[in-house]
Amino acid sequence: MEKMNSLTGKPVGPTVPAIPSVERRMFLRHLGLFTASTAAFLTACSKEAIVSPSTGAAARVAADGTVDLGSGDIGILNYAYALEQLEAAFYTTAVSETKGLSAMDRKALIEIREHEVAHRELFKAALGTAAIPDLEVDFSSIDWNSRNAVFDAANKFESTGVGAYNGAGKLLKTSAFLILAGKIVSVEARHAAYTAYMLYPGKKFDVAHELVNGNGLDVAYTPSQVLSGVQMYIKQKISGANLPS
Amino acid sequence: MNLFNLFSDIEKNDADADGRFNFTRRKMLKTTSMAVAGTTAFTALAMNKAFAADSSVTEVLNFALTLEYLEAEFYAKALASNLKDDSNFMSYYGLFEEIGKHEREHVDFLKTALGSAAVSKPEFDFTAKGMFPNPFAKENYPVYLTLSQAFEDTGVRAYKGQAANLMSNPDVLQAALQIHSVEARHAGTIRLLRGVTPFANEGNNDSSNGGAPAAVYKGENNIYQVDGVDLISLTKPKLLEQGGNPEMMAEKYVRESFDEPLTKADVLAIVAPFLK
Repeated sequence: MEKMNSLTGKPVGPTVPAIPSVERRMFLRHLGLFTASTAAFLTACSKEAIVSPSTGAAARVAADGTVDLGSGDIGILNYAYALEQLEAAFYTTAVSETKGLSAMDRKALIEIREHEVAHRELFKAALGTAAIPDLEVDFSSIDWNSRNAVFDAANKFESTGVGAYNGAGKLLKTSAFLILAGKIVSVEARHAAYTAYMLYPGKKFDVAHELVNGNGLDVAYTPSQVLSGVQMYIKQKISGANLPS
Repeated sequence: MNLFNLFSDIEKNDADADGRFNFTRRKMLKTTSMAVAGTTAFTALAMNKAFAADSSVTEVLNFALTLEYLEAEFYAKALASNLKDDSNFMSYYGLFEEIGKHEREHVDFLKTALGSAAVSKPEFDFTAKGMFPNPFAKENYPVYLTLSQAFEDTGVRAYKGQAANLMSNPDVLQAALQIHSVEARHAGTIRLLRGVTPFANEGNNDSSNGGAPAAVYKGENNIYQVDGVDLISLTKPKLLEQGGNPEMMAEKYVRESFDEPLTKADVLAIVAPFLK
């Protein structure tokens, strides 16, 4: 990490509206009163962040268009949100653009796509006004004429996601967010197995033999490693300069 | 950084798509072995020094070690058993060998990390006291796969349930997460081999879990992740295909998108019948 984070750990001004109601919502839920309609109402009546502003500074877009992910837990959630946006966009394009997909290929890409959309929507809702904007993607470098190349790229996106979440877990301060990240990362790992299986069914590639190290440990990447790797697929410049490290 | 050289590899223009694809795979092997060598800043021994005084971390890792003993012995026995007379087992032998190797590595890693605090290996009964036929008999390859899936999916949920208990120690937490995702890769792959969805579900019937114990999937269909967010309503209008019942499809995708944790007590209840 060559960029040090000057803001981490310091209290940052309330760029996000204060939200008093997390405890109340949890309380309602524990009472069994938290129904789907309550949830819909809460979602509809408020775009405010569900994450507390004390967990970091919100995302910001600089004058030159650079998207800063923010700091603290909010920064890490925005980092995850950026990756989920990228993945969802990748699969949306893959379903419509890839030539020569079999019915099974298409089913796999759609299933994974819908999961990435669910992940994306969750982060977007949870971050509210603290969220980064919608990212514009650039997949011009991907060969949509080759079904194999598309599943190979998908597999790399998934393993990048696995490594990103594995590396980000220890940067989170709020246990609920760590648990949430844990719920998502294993689904990304299942996606990685799925996309690998579409290329080499029943081979050790499916369990990432080429990535898992001699201690049986999966990949874990720092945000700067991941961001420099995926920047070429995102039109806006993404900055993780204020992320914890 | 090496990972991302791979991204650019696939994107280089090349008339021969298949040739390029194979090239990418070879290149991947080469670059990742370099990447691993370059980033081994952290060892099990270093981890041991870091948490030796923390009894709650020791407890979590011994819990993990017990599960890893179970998985490692399961694959080691299978790989040397009469299953080798089954042609289906043999067509995936390399895969099972790799999975078994990962589990053995997890055992070694955790034992090294725990040092003298490590629990010793229990004796296992893979019929779970008669609940299952011998999974290592030639004719019982399907039983072997069922148990493999159950152990892997349980492992995923077990590590997930302990992550928050490791926050005091970032190195240990990261290592646990790195094991956790390997178990998930295993689980997804084994499920695909069985012809069931790679995603964990709490099924009302056995179609998605194929005879694995119901306790392994208890609570897996949770659809509430962050309080105040109705994810089904948010996801439904954005689904790619609106055929069938969009509400039901949205619910299916939302619950599949998040793997749920299990408590230590729930995991131990699943594992208990397999202990002699």
